[in-house]
Order: sequence, then C-alpha cells, then structure tokens
Amino acid sequence: MIVIGIDTSTPQTSVAIGTENEILAKASVAGASRQESVTPLLQELLRRSDLTLSQVGGVAVGIGPGLFTGLRVGVATAKTLAQVVNVPVVGITSLDALAYAVRYSPRRIAAVIDARRKEVFSAIYRAVPGGIVRERDYEVHAPDRLAAELQAMPGEVLAVGNGAMLYRHVLEEIGSRIEFASSIVAHPEAAAMVELAVPRLLREEHDRLFDIVPLYLRKSDAEIAWDRRARGV
Amino acid sequence: MRLTMRTTSAEETREVGEALASLLRMRDAVMLCGELGAGKTTFAQGVARGLGIEEQVSSPTFTLIKEYSGILDLAHVDVYRLDMVQDVVDLGLEELGGGDDVLLIEWGDTIEELLPEERLRVELMTDDPAGESVRSISISATGTGWSDRFAELEAAMLPWWPNT
Repeated sequence: MIVIGIDTSTPQTSVAIGTENEILAKASVAGASRQESVTPLLQELLRRSDLTLSQVGGVAVGIGPGLFTGLRVGVATAKTLAQVVNVPVVGITSLDALAYAVRYSPRRIAAVIDARRKEVFSAIYRAVPGGIVRERDYEVHAPDRLAAELQAMPGEVLAVGNGAMLYRHVLEEIGSRIEFASSIVAHPEAAAMVELAVPRLLREEHDRLFDIVPLYLRKSDAEIAWDRRARGV
Repeated sequence: MRLTMRTTSAEETREVGEALASLLRMRDAVMLCGELGAGKTTFAQGVARGLGIEEQVSSPTFTLIKEYSGILDLAHVDVYRLDMVQDVVDLGLEELGGGDDVLLIEWGDTIEELLPEERLRVELMTDDPAGESVRSISISATGTGWSDRFAELEAAMLPWWPNT
C-alpha cells in the first residue's frame, strides 16, 4: 500500500511517500513557514518515484499540536487529496511522531514543540516493543511547568523537539537526569507519519474524513469581553 | 508610564503614528483603543507610513487581518467583528510574518490576555464636542519591554504635548 505523509505542524514542512516496507521518497523544507511548498513537493516526489496519485492507497497527516497556519494548510491538503483520490486518511499527532522517531531509548521521552508566546506543547511517552505509549495527556503550558512535571517524575528523560531545543536552559534545571535529542530530529517527519499510519490503514482503522481536525490545545469557550467596552451600535 | 498627546486633524493623528513607528521593533504589539470613529485606522495609517509602507492602509474590520511589508512588516488586525476568544486564537496572531510582524490590533483591549505581555496601548478619544477633528491620544506601556524606549518615545511625542 502506497501512503502519502504530510506534516506542517512546525516551521518545517515535511512530505513523504512510503509503503509498509519502506519510505520511497521524502523531502523536508526547514526554516520559515513554507507550507505553500506542500503540493509542489508532493508532485516532485511522485514524479521522481514514477508514481501517480491513482496508485496512492492512503494519506497520513500530522494534526498537531503545532502552528495554526501550517496545520490548516497541511490538514486541508491531506483531506482534499484523500477526497479527490477517494482513499482513507489517518491523523497522527506531531508529538507522537517526534517521540516515535527516538523510541530506541530506555528513558522516558518528553516530546516538546514550541507553541510560541513562551509556551510549549508537550506529551510524555515511554518506549514499548514495536512502538511508544503515551503516559500523559497532550498539554500546552509554560516551559517551567513542563520542567516541574519532569522533575516530579522518577528516572531519566530524553527531551525531543524544537520546543526542547528552544527551552533547553529551562528544562536543564531538573539536572543531569535529562538528555536532549539532536536537532536533526527536532521536527515531526512525514516519514514517521507514514510509518505510524500504515498499520492503521492496513487494519482499516482510518479516521472519517470530516472528523480530522487540527489538534488545537488552546481551546477557549470564553466570549470576548465586549461588555467591558461598548461595541457601539 | 503614560503620555498624552493632542491632535487637531487626521493628518496630525497620522503624524503621531508615524513618530511612534520610528521606535517600533520586530514583534512589538500595539493595541489601538477607542470608539468607532475615534481614529484607530487613521493612526494605523501613520504607523504604516512610518514603517515605509506605501500600500494604502484601510480598516481591516472585514478582512480581520491585513499584512503589509515595509522596513518592518506590519500586521493590521481588527477584532471588532469577533465574539469568541477562540476566534482570535484561530487568527494565530503570534505566527503572523513568521512571528516577526509588528502587530497593530484595533480593539485590542478586549483580548489583552491573548497579546504579548509587553505591549503598547494607544487610546484615541474625540475630545472636543465642537471640533470633530480634535483628538487626545494616550500611549502607555505594559511589561518591561518598553522601559528602555519610553524616554525616546516621550521625546518623539513632544510636538503634540498639549499646552497645559
């Protein structure tokens, strides 16, 4: 089964094409947000792999948490593709993909993505045979809150992700129990999305097209306090 | 820290905005407050001119956000049409221009909790019931980010201090 993977949840745009056996092609553009390159990159990968869209059997997409603008582009692109080619789609969280890429470690894994405004998205994992298990819910909080959470946990921690790199100085305060994964694995990779999605696609555990939405952790039910300021007529 | 200026024409209000622009840095956030017709967009036009933006700046009430490129890139935002805090969160203000844009937010005082800790508040008021064009403009800073610039700001605003 040929699966397309897309992730745009960080300033890196990543696309990949793979099967249950291998990654056939992949490309990532890092730096400033470059989501406009998603479709051209995919076209290029298909062309170089001598594939057409009609051969694609599924789409894997990073649903965040991450940057709003990027997520919306990535999720919309993935859904459109899936609908046009009439194949199933699977949403994978960016934090799962980060942790999955560094799972060969006896340490607990803290996946941390920069959420801007001095906050991070994070989740805690441990490796199990064949994959990872998430131990805590996805969170958005200040880096020092994450540090306090890690401090309270026993054992050694591997921190991965662009948020871990950015707030290394804060997380380091918990002492020598923490180690930092390299910057080359600091962004979710579409290839990881493909690997994580293939088993689910093969088991037909895909998501319903319209159920896939970006994972916005900063949900708010609050109304804007217009009563404090008259909005005129 | 609070400065209060007085202007007697739309052009003068633009000049105050222009003078403020000379002190702005990447990622600064400026809330524009005041009733409808108080001159928020006029002030924004001055800021844009000061940032070397040649494009015509109009009210972003219906587009919510308009971005301009200049010496510094500017995002002109208006939350007037929005009702839910989530709608503002969904604008992804912190991501505009890769996070580097200067933010000018009309009615920004209603969503202060979503704005950077360090920000300027510009309040425009129509002062004089007889003369529609008379405005008082107050500028105050939140957080410490402006403390090193406030003296410069004070100097830049000197021409419009009211004669009291």
